[in-house]
Amino acid sequence: MNRQYKLIVSLLSVVISSCSSIDCPINNTVSVQYEIRDKTGAALSIKDSLTVVTTRQDGYDVLVDITTYDDNKTTVLNRLVDRSDFSLPISYSHPEDVLYFCFKDSVKTVVDTVWIKKDDIPHFESVDCSASFFHELTDVRHTHNAIDSLVLINRSVTYDYKTIHFYLYPKTGN
Amino acid sequence: MITRPFISISIRKLAISLLLLVSVSASAQLKFFSIQKDSIPFFRGFAVSFDLVGLAMMELSDYGQYEGALRINLHDEWFPIAELGYGKASHVNDPVTHISYKTSAPYFRIGIDKNLLKQKHGPYRLYAGLRYAFTKYKVDLTRDNFPDPVWLWDTGFGVKDEQCSYHWLEIALGADATIWGPLHLGWSVRYKRRIAHKDGVLGRTWYVPGYGVDGDTRLGGTFNVIIDI
Repeated sequence: MNRQYKLIVSLLSVVISSCSSIDCPINNTVSVQYEIRDKTGAALSIKDSLTVVTTRQDGYDVLVDITTYDDNKTTVLNRLVDRSDFSLPISYSHPEDVLYFCFKDSVKTVVDTVWIKKDDIPHFESVDCSASFFHELTDVRHTHNAIDSLVLINRSVTYDYKTIHFYLYPKTGN
Repeated sequence: MITRPFISISIRKLAISLLLLVSVSASAQLKFFSIQKDSIPFFRGFAVSFDLVGLAMMELSDYGQYEGALRINLHDEWFPIAELGYGKASHVNDPVTHISYKTSAPYFRIGIDKNLLKQKHGPYRLYAGLRYAFTKYKVDLTRDNFPDPVWLWDTGFGVKDEQCSYHWLEIALGADATIWGPLHLGWSVRYKRRIAHKDGVLGRTWYVPGYGVDGDTRLGGTFNVIIDI
């Protein structure tokens, strides 16, 4: 009898421990990580404020008046100062994102346009977890008003928020 | 005066101890794998079984499986077994994430059970066993278009007929009892470990036919109706 009792207790503990759970990742933000660097390769804290605006409509000319708000553009980074790194969102399923980097000091605003091409990969964890996209960055080009170069160093954009994707080298004097 | 034993004597003692241990362990292993000697014939026939747990899951939830098995009885001690099933999931428009997931595919397991009871030929059996399992399945994953949170563009999400595969091992512990004539009822608890998989472009899959929900729990179970044939 004692042996049967032990067996039943063991089986019950196995059944109880087999309860299911929802296992979605805690960090589920997919974003592109940038680091600002000087010519020597050291991290550089930006002194001018940096605002990044994007357009919600292909072909829309944000530069006509970048300072005013309208529905066709949105701010994705607002007045970054004294930081050497930042992250920007990436569109779920658009072949190319267009970003406007606005460097502003007390006198003037200098704007650079950045085009980022990418492949979008649907990412699935479970039916209990929200739909998301991972991305493979395929190309980047930009204007050269305040940005000297934007170097793509990691193509894969996932939940990993510690991996830097771009090194941004500003022009000296900006 | 204290005399220190020679190192060679210590090594010899250690070697003898190890040899004894190996020989005891080897004889225990041989005993485990040997067939009891008695007047009962070695081949005792076949049994077919049907799992009721998978059937109940299929009726009560979004996924489940129909599963049957063919078992060979070798002297009431060893039971080579082949399990064949058809797993299915149809999770339509999740109320929170709005994701729909569909798959259906056959799967199989092969393995062997050992009757652990001393009285091998009685009406009750207690089994421990091992299985290798495999399934190849296609997944349809869809979600209604939704707006990108920043750009507000409509975004589609999903894949169709994504080819996936899954290999896994199961350790089984089970029991069965003779109810009447050739009819037995039995249950088993399974501990599952994935050994290889291919999830396609998705990164992961959810319900895997025969395995259950991936990443949910490694435990599973069956309740079987068994008929000796």
